Formats: sequence, C-alpha cells, structure tokens
Amino acid sequence: MQTGLLLAPALLVLATVFVIPLARLFALAFTDPAGTMVPFETLLGSPVYRQVAFNTLVVAGSVTAICAVLAWPVAYVLSRLKGVWFIVALYGVLFPFWISVLVRTFAWMLLLERNGPLNKLLMGSGLTDSPISLLFNNTGVMIGMVHVLLPYMILPLYSAMSRIDRRLLLASDGLGAGLLDTFRRVYFPLCLPGIAGGATFVFLLSLGFFITPALLGGANAITLSMLIANFVNERLAWSLAAAGSIALLAIVLLIMGLTAKLLPLDKGMFAK
Amino acid sequence: MSKLPIWLRMISNAAASLVLGFLVLPILAVVPASFNKASFIALPPRNYSGVWYERFFEDVEWQTSLYNSLQVAVIATAIAVVLGTLAAIGLRRLSGRWRASITALFLAPMIVPVVVTAVALYRSALDVGLSGTIFGMSLGHMILALPFVVINVGIALRGVDDNWLKAASGLGGGSWTVFRTITLPNIVPGIVGGAIFSFITSFDEVVVAVFLAGYSNKTLPVKIWESIRLEFTPVIAVAATMMIVLAIVLFAVAQFASRSQGNSAR
Amino acid sequence: MTNTGLPLRLEAISKHYGKFLALAPTNLDVAAGEFLTLLGPSGSGKTTLLNLIAGYVEPTAGTVAIGSRDVTGLPARLRNIGMVFQNYALFPHMTVGQNIAYGLSVRGVSKAESHRRVAEVLALMQLEEYADRAIQKMSGGQQQRVALARALIIEPDVLLMDEPLSALDKQLRRNVQLELRRLHHKHGRTTIYVTHDQEEALVLSDRIAVMNDGRIHQLGSVDDIYDRPANAFVAGFIGESNLFAATVTSVSDGTAIVDVEAFRRTIRAPAAPGVEPGRPARLLLRPEHLLFNHADDGVPAEIVETVYLGELSQYGIVLENGQSLIARQITDRSIQAGTRVTLSWKPDHARVVAESSTTGGLSNA
Repeated sequence: MQTGLLLAPALLVLATVFVIPLARLFALAFTDPAGTMVPFETLLGSPVYRQVAFNTLVVAGSVTAICAVLAWPVAYVLSRLKGVWFIVALYGVLFPFWISVLVRTFAWMLLLERNGPLNKLLMGSGLTDSPISLLFNNTGVMIGMVHVLLPYMILPLYSAMSRIDRRLLLASDGLGAGLLDTFRRVYFPLCLPGIAGGATFVFLLSLGFFITPALLGGANAITLSMLIANFVNERLAWSLAAAGSIALLAIVLLIMGLTAKLLPLDKGMFAK
Repeated sequence: MSKLPIWLRMISNAAASLVLGFLVLPILAVVPASFNKASFIALPPRNYSGVWYERFFEDVEWQTSLYNSLQVAVIATAIAVVLGTLAAIGLRRLSGRWRASITALFLAPMIVPVVVTAVALYRSALDVGLSGTIFGMSLGHMILALPFVVINVGIALRGVDDNWLKAASGLGGGSWTVFRTITLPNIVPGIVGGAIFSFITSFDEVVVAVFLAGYSNKTLPVKIWESIRLEFTPVIAVAATMMIVLAIVLFAVAQFASRSQGNSAR
Repeated sequence: MTNTGLPLRLEAISKHYGKFLALAPTNLDVAAGEFLTLLGPSGSGKTTLLNLIAGYVEPTAGTVAIGSRDVTGLPARLRNIGMVFQNYALFPHMTVGQNIAYGLSVRGVSKAESHRRVAEVLALMQLEEYADRAIQKMSGGQQQRVALARALIIEPDVLLMDEPLSALDKQLRRNVQLELRRLHHKHGRTTIYVTHDQEEALVLSDRIAVMNDGRIHQLGSVDDIYDRPANAFVAGFIGESNLFAATVTSVSDGTAIVDVEAFRRTIRAPAAPGVEPGRPARLLLRPEHLLFNHADDGVPAEIVETVYLGELSQYGIVLENGQSLIARQITDRSIQAGTRVTLSWKPDHARVVAESSTTGGLSNA
C-alpha cells in the first residue's frame, strides 16, 4: 500500500479532531469584540493573573526540584538491582502511571486532611502539637504533584545511570579519587542528561496540571490551567481562555525549544 | 560504584524503599476508605462495612457512568488502534526530516497541556453539536491515546527485519500476503500493548471528559470529580477502588503481552 | 528435484544511483546448472548485480533473461528465483518446517503435497527431526541449511546466495563449503554466489567473476583466474602475489619485454591481454614460484624474516632497492634472517599484467 494512504487516515483525523479545534480556539484570542490584543493585555495587565502565572511557575519549579532530589535513590537502586527485585522495583515505578490522576489526588485528599492519618501520625509521634494545614494550600498541591510526577523524573535518570560504564568508576578509583570526587567528577556529570531530561519533562507537565491543584489547593493555589478552566466554565470568557491557552502553550514550546538546543533529545524519554 | 561502602548502600536502599513506598502506598489508601460504615469519609474508618459497595452497584448514576466509561474507552481504543497502526507502518517507510516531523505531529497531543486540548475540543464540540455525546468524548480520548499506539507499534515494527520481507516476497508472496503472514504476527504484541494503554488512558482520563461530558453522559472519573465537590461520601472511595482494580488487571495483562513480544524476537 | 535450472543472460545491465555508478554496463552468460561466483571486495558491485538478477533492484538499463523469458520488468516474486540471504532472514515466528514450506504455502500447494516435499528437502539437508523446531533453537550452520532448503523447495530456475557463510566461524565455514558443493552436484541448479573470500570462491565455483569498482574484471574458470589473471587487481586479489612496477618496452605474441625497476633489469615474461607499451603494468610473481640460488644471474636479495609453517616456510625478503616480497618453499633450515640469496623463477611462472582492465564496460562471457 502507498505510504500516503497509510498515513492519510490518521493525519486527517488528527487535523480534524486536534489541529483545527486548537486553531479555532487560538483564533478566539484575537477576535474579541473589544479589540485584537485586548485579552492578552487583560492577562498581562492584571496583578491577579500575573500572580497566578507566577504561582504556577514557582510551584512547577519547586516540584521539579523536589522530584530531582527524591529520584536519586530510586534511580540508583534500580540501576543496580537484578532479577526479581529489579522487576518489583520497576513495577513500583511504572504502576502509578496506570492510576488516574484523579484517584491519586483523591487519595491525598484523604491522607492530608486535618483529621487524617498523616496529621494523626505527626501528632501521635510528638512532632507537632496541633494538626498542620496540609490541604488547600501550596504544600498539599506540591505533595500531590510530586507524587504524580516523580516517575517521570526517575525513569530518565535511571536510563542515564544504567548506561554508565562501571569501569569508568573503577578507573577513577584506581587513579586515587575518593568516593566524593568520583561522584562529583565522573558519575554526576554522566547523569546530567538524565536529570536534565527528567527535569524538563516534570517542569512542563507541572505547568499544565489542573486536577491536582484544583482538588488539593482550591482557591488558595490557583494555577494557569485552573484559570483557563475557570474562564470557560464559570465565566464563558472564551477570548481570555484562548489567550491564556496560547500563553501556556507558548511557555511549554519555549522551554522545549531551549532544552532541545542545549541537549540532544534523548529518544528514550518519549518511549514508554 | 561497585565499591560503595556498606553504610551508604544501606542508606540508599532505605531511601529508595521509602520513596517507592511513597509512590505506591498512598494510592492504596483509597481501599480501606471504601469500606467505611459511616456516611462521611474517614481514614482509617472506625467501622468497616461493605455497604457503600452496595450503594455503588445499585445507584443508577454511578452504574451509568461506569458503563459510559467502558463505552468511550472501547470506541476510543478501537479507532486509535486502527489509525495508529496504519500510521506507524506508514512512518516506518519514511526517513529523515519527513519521518521526524510527522512523528512529532502524532506526538503533539502528549505535549499540549491537557486543559488547552480540553477547552479547544469543547469549543469545537459545541460548534458541531458533539458536546455531551459519547462519540464526542471518544474522539477526544482517541486523540490522547493515538500517540501511545503509534509509539508502541513503531517499536514493534523496528523488530521486523526488512530481509524477512524481501525473502517472503522472493518466495512468491504478494504485498498483502507478506504483511499478513510476516509483519502482522510480529507486531501483534505491540498492537495489543498499545490497545491496552489506550484503554486505560481513556478510562482514567478526567479533564477532557469533564469538558465534553453532558448531564447524562458522564464517565466514571467525571462522576467522581463532581461527587468530590458536591457529595463527599465513601462511595467515591468505592469508585476509586474500582478504577484501581481495573488498572491492576490491565497492567498485569500488558506486562504479559510485552513479555511475549520479547520472546518472539529473532 | 528433477530439472537443473535454466541459463541466465544479462545484456548491458547497469545501475546508477544518482551520480553514483554501482554497476557499469555488463554482459553475462551463465550456463544452465553452472555455479558462478561473483567475487570482490565490498562496494565492488557484486551485491548490486545479484539484486538485479533477483529482481529486488531495477536496472538503469539493460535486460535480464532467465531461460527464454525476459524478466527485466518483473519483480522478484515472479521470477522463480530462490535467494539465501547473508543473515538467513528466517521468519522468527515460524518453525523450521513452516519456514521451508512458506514458498509453497503462498503458491497454494496442498497441505499433503507440501508436507511430502518439506520432508524430502529436510532429508536432503540432513535435518529430518527438526521440522517442528523453533528456528531460534538452531545453530548457525543449521539455520543456514534451513535457509537453503527454503530456497530450493520451490524449484527455482536460478539459486542466488548472498555471502551466506560470512556469519560462520572458520572451521564450520570450510565444512559447509564442501557440503554446498556436494549439494550443488545433487540439485544441479544454476547458482550465482556472492562472496569476498577468494578461497571460498576457489573451492565452490565452476567459474568466477572477479569484480571491483562496479565492473567484472575477469570472468573465467578457477585455473584461468589463478594462473592467468587479466590485470593487477585480479592478480592481487586471488591467491598471494608479489607485484612489481614494470615499464613495457614491447609486446608480441603474448610475451612482453619489461623493465622492472625493483630488479634493475629487463625481464621477458608472458603477458595478459591489455599490456602495451606506454600503459602502466606490473610483473606478477607468486610466492611459491620463487627459487633461491637457482641461477647464476638471479636477483640479489636478503632474507629478513622466516615463518615456519611445517613442511613449508614463508620467507620475508628485501631487495636491494628496499622493496619487500614474500616467498614460500619447502623448509630449508640453512636459510635464516640475514642470509643473502639470489632469486629466480621459471619463465612461465612470471606474468605481466596491466594496471587496470582495458575492457572498461562490457565484459564478455
């Protein structure tokens, strides 16, 4: 069969069900009766909206940083395990992908509430005197987001680690370098592509998060995605929603472009 | 670092176990909450009972939403698998710039933030009257699932050696026969893997579903989403548990399928 | 296995990829049942020629005829050829028996008939008990036989083999070569065999086509190629050789008079076609043809290395002008590194060959 014939159905459907709707939405940003650039001016001009954008970036950055730290032990242990234990650990990382974000976020709602098990544990062990507010603020949102996004950081890092030739480390050791030096000068630099790839992935996904901030943060931690949804659902402000969407997508593409230039894109990153 | 001192190894193992526990265990917190006797959600429950499970299976709205989820997932998967498999086969024949750009196009739904996709689809669905329909939701989910099929089948196709196809055609096989007897048997595991992942992607999906659902055509996640905000009872935990069970089953099946893909390689 | 395959004729066949010439216009006539080897280094055009015969590649110009049929426009599956690939290309999801039967199953041959023929071919290949074995469980040598069985069972008019033994280790390769030869005597199909291994070509072939740079440099029997190489490339590629730059003074009646600078003298020797005054040429002396201290006016030289090979020894030699060569003879313990000898040879054992072939394009059958 002709190559074109094979690709045509999928491309046609993609165009109709994806590209055209997106174009239609983006057009709405420029067709507000008040003026072509008015929605953008409104977004950029309002301190509230700017705060939302800032908050989104701060949360995304923090989540990325936390994931970058927590991923290390798991990725390292995964790269050293073999046999049954490797499978068990790997499944532990892969399995959460199959659970809906909604279910995972709901679980955290149960765990983080004032009378929930986490607070009971903290009070019971004497770490705090009164329940900490973990829900409906940035803290809860970040805990939930880290939980969902951590596997996206672990896998690329693990991939980079498992490719490191052990003999390089033996060579460094043989040349007299101590543990810290070997780590700092040989191991860590070789892990960098993995970290960078994972960090990009996690950061970009964080920017688009909607469910988790909505349920765990409520009105106190609004993200861009929530804002866009709000524009459509509560206010039918389509042109604002469209402008916000363009802004969000633009940030995503910008960061992707930057990282693609700075690093060679790892094919492993997109292969699940 | 094969010469890592034992105390460091112990710390890293402990840390890894903690983090893995952090990944897996909170999800399971939903299960005991579903067995709560009281009509408010509490963890851990004071009294255990299966009463909310009865409520879940008797409630018309919950059952309809479950049924809708299954319907949408089946339709979305079916379309995604057909289109995605054809696309992956087509992509294999391309090279260089063309292949890279068209692949990027197929992967675009994974990159565009879900909210943006959802809002765009909602707008267009309103325009053409597909808002609030099963078919509309299926199309939305199909677009999100398509990249996974293309990737999975693409990987399976990379395992098909061109020389097998040359040998088969040299022995007298026409192009359809060669595809049917040589290519297809070797990519079936990839197609099945893609189908399973499509199904769960659709079943789990919330954002697009929330925007495209109507009053009477909600999917299970949409019903959960609404209930969280309106009626916070343990039946939500039951629904969540159902979703986890389904995910476990499909995860197991998919791992099985990917094992058999490894075995049929040359 | 009854009929012996058909003759093959290629006329002015050539292949360009854009500006790149993969195969220059070539004529080739192969007799029915003949075993012809296309021998050459990578990039010589031998695989292109094979693929043109098979029908996997379309020629830029020229025709291919199998028997009395012009198959030039036909794709591979309509040419009734059997091909054995370099890595065997066995179908991994089928058993040995299913692989072999594939060509029959796509032709709609009945199950019973197919079963019988598969059994017959398995017996020929000495693989009787392996019909239901998965191919991953077969050794390299066994897989090679399955690939051959798969190609033979459809009773092809021409059998094509693309470096089928290159994946096997040396010892196994020698055994399989002899087996292939025996099989060819049994099935008698016209066979075109591609390899870069000249020893293999010498063992298997009726005739050899030595190729380089997209051209056939010489087509002939094993003796022709070895004793009477057509040019310097063929001389250097087949067997071992010492080649010396030679200036041609005159040629007549197949004998040339040349100045060999390395010997600082004028030599008289049989000449290959294409040798003429003014064209660069070489003098060929095979290591086994060099004699030590046999003539009064031999070329003075010094032994620099001796390699003991048992009954024979190999000697590395240096001439007065610094050029080195190799000789091989019955071991003489008195000859050591440092020994001075004079070199000579029987007049018939030297040969003058042209630097590159004069017959640029159409090589004759």
